[in-house]
Amino acid sequence: MEEITLKTREIAYKDLSTGKVDRVIGFAKGDFIYESNPTFISDIDELDALVWDSFCVNNLSKYLINELKDVKKIGIFLKGCDSLGFNQLVQDNKVDSDNVLVYGVPCEGMVDPNKLKKDNLLKGLIDIKRSGEKILLITKQGDKELKAKEYEYDKCINCKHPNPVVYSELLGDYITRNNNVVDDFQEIKEIEAMNSEERFDYWSKQFSKCIRCYACRNICPVCSCDKCIFENYEPGISGKGKVDSEDQFFHIIRAYHVAGRCVDCGECSRVCPEGISIDKLNRKIIKDITEIYGEYDAGLNTSKSSVLVNYELEDFDPFESIKGGK
Amino acid sequence: MKKITLDKLSELYIRISQEYDLFVPSDEEGVVSFTPWKDDSNVDFDVLKTNLSPKSFIFPQCETLFNFKSEGKKLSIERLKNDENKFLIFGVRPCDVKAFHLLDNVFLREPMDRLYEEKRNRGTIISMGCIEPEDTCFCNSFNIDPLCAQKGVDVFTLKIKNNIFWKVETQKGRDLTVMLSGLLEEASEDDLKEIELVKESLNSKLEELPYFNIDPQKIDRSLIELFESNVWDEISKSCLGCGSCTYVCPTCHCYDIQDYDGGKGGERFRCWDSCMYSDFTLMAHGNPRTTQKERFRQRFMHKLVYYPNNFNEYACVGCGRCVEKCPVNMNIVKVIRELGGENK
Repeated sequence: MEEITLKTREIAYKDLSTGKVDRVIGFAKGDFIYESNPTFISDIDELDALVWDSFCVNNLSKYLINELKDVKKIGIFLKGCDSLGFNQLVQDNKVDSDNVLVYGVPCEGMVDPNKLKKDNLLKGLIDIKRSGEKILLITKQGDKELKAKEYEYDKCINCKHPNPVVYSELLGDYITRNNNVVDDFQEIKEIEAMNSEERFDYWSKQFSKCIRCYACRNICPVCSCDKCIFENYEPGISGKGKVDSEDQFFHIIRAYHVAGRCVDCGECSRVCPEGISIDKLNRKIIKDITEIYGEYDAGLNTSKSSVLVNYELEDFDPFESIKGGK
Repeated sequence: MKKITLDKLSELYIRISQEYDLFVPSDEEGVVSFTPWKDDSNVDFDVLKTNLSPKSFIFPQCETLFNFKSEGKKLSIERLKNDENKFLIFGVRPCDVKAFHLLDNVFLREPMDRLYEEKRNRGTIISMGCIEPEDTCFCNSFNIDPLCAQKGVDVFTLKIKNNIFWKVETQKGRDLTVMLSGLLEEASEDDLKEIELVKESLNSKLEELPYFNIDPQKIDRSLIELFESNVWDEISKSCLGCGSCTYVCPTCHCYDIQDYDGGKGGERFRCWDSCMYSDFTLMAHGNPRTTQKERFRQRFMHKLVYYPNNFNEYACVGCGRCVEKCPVNMNIVKVIRELGGENK
């Protein structure tokens, strides 16, 4: 990790000082050892702040939308999952890829501080190091080795893209992990197996936990409308009332609006303060798309047109064969 | 000082719930929040920060003000009946109790907010001190003693090992204690000594906390200097403009008033609002704060400058929920530090 940190600083120094980029977006350490935060650097004297470790979980690509209004060229550090989001932003014409240099960082999976906290492992923590599928905690009480899978973010456990799918420069070596894992949508099948009443109850309970902070929307790399319908408070469009109908309206519209564009990065579920598994709704749609149109991973390939915005005569007609949800 | 052993708590809950709607911090699917007590509630007194603060008991996220109906040129307004049940929240931490007091400053001055007042009066608070503060706690920066009852607490408790110690603070608390007679026993001399030991060990625990040196009193620039400061550009950059910090915050109290418009009739309600949102304080001429930087600045100027100007207290209690919940780890601690509020 220290090695990657040095590489991030080196490449940022090289590209900022030669004017290849005007700004870099990366990570800097926060107040805790288990906290790495988005940072924006234009001045080469500030580059010592850049780091790369097991807590660089945020997908930085969405910041490009605003930052590119401010400067012309940006260098950005992206992991595998982030790079899918970046590609989707390019495909949605929200970001011009000519103005971005992607520094790709292969990722072994990020560590979830909340899982460490639940097992009371944050107390006295001095440093944390990751190597392969093991995490080493260095604490005031001594060292402790943990299985990485048990303390990774949920979204990292079955990661399909540990390596960036697009980059100008790659920092570090390609990583192989989860080779044998097949995404069989098990958690979605469990919900599908419910009858319609059980399913309604399940989702009603999930959505009623929502406090409508919109963190899921705002962190999402493909929620990129200039003005969201949920910022239109004309009576009858979207209200701030904390009632089931408004909560459900928000979640269903959000899921449908990212259908076919959701890159399954899992950021929505990660940031939800109420722990709603928002990604399950996205993954249900991904599963349906896969079944109807064949294997399609949003953000994987920008030259291929998006599955739901492209029509061909031979397309499968879901209204003919599936007949609604009941 | 009285006490009750943990194994007798369920009996205590049963007794309380005969008189009050009882709320306890309980763990559901890994999330601890104040929920109505049931036989099978998974009560958790070890988690310090419930997921959301208990402010929604006195200031709900959404509440109906009245219903209205129009017939021809006549408009009729129907006031709703108040809920009359007494409620009791067990296990409110000192920071969250202090937050109630900060909301009182706003809602209980003239013109009095009747909906708020009515809920405040119906509620009884059993507070619980914190003997193991967490890394993200900084209540001491706002002069809150995590082992002392805050003003407004009816009973103050401490959970030490197998006992919950019980100290009456108000008449409401005395009445409750009388109702529970037989369940509570007197604390012994040894118990009192143990409590003293816990109190003595707290200071060194606080001093070790990462945020121990945060001190908003050290912010010494004038309102206008702070408002115009360049730091806002930098520190607001990563803010996503979501409302998690404002909605998990025990002291954020801005609200909006909206209608459900059903054509000839409807409902007027008030609901939490967030200064992070693009329509916050939107009015006929437009929005006075058009950028995220301005909205971000508003939140912290309100907590650290405007509110203190009005009430001589900061509108933050150092609970640390925003520190834990912000998707990008930008929070009030970093803001206070950037504005110079740190003992070095």
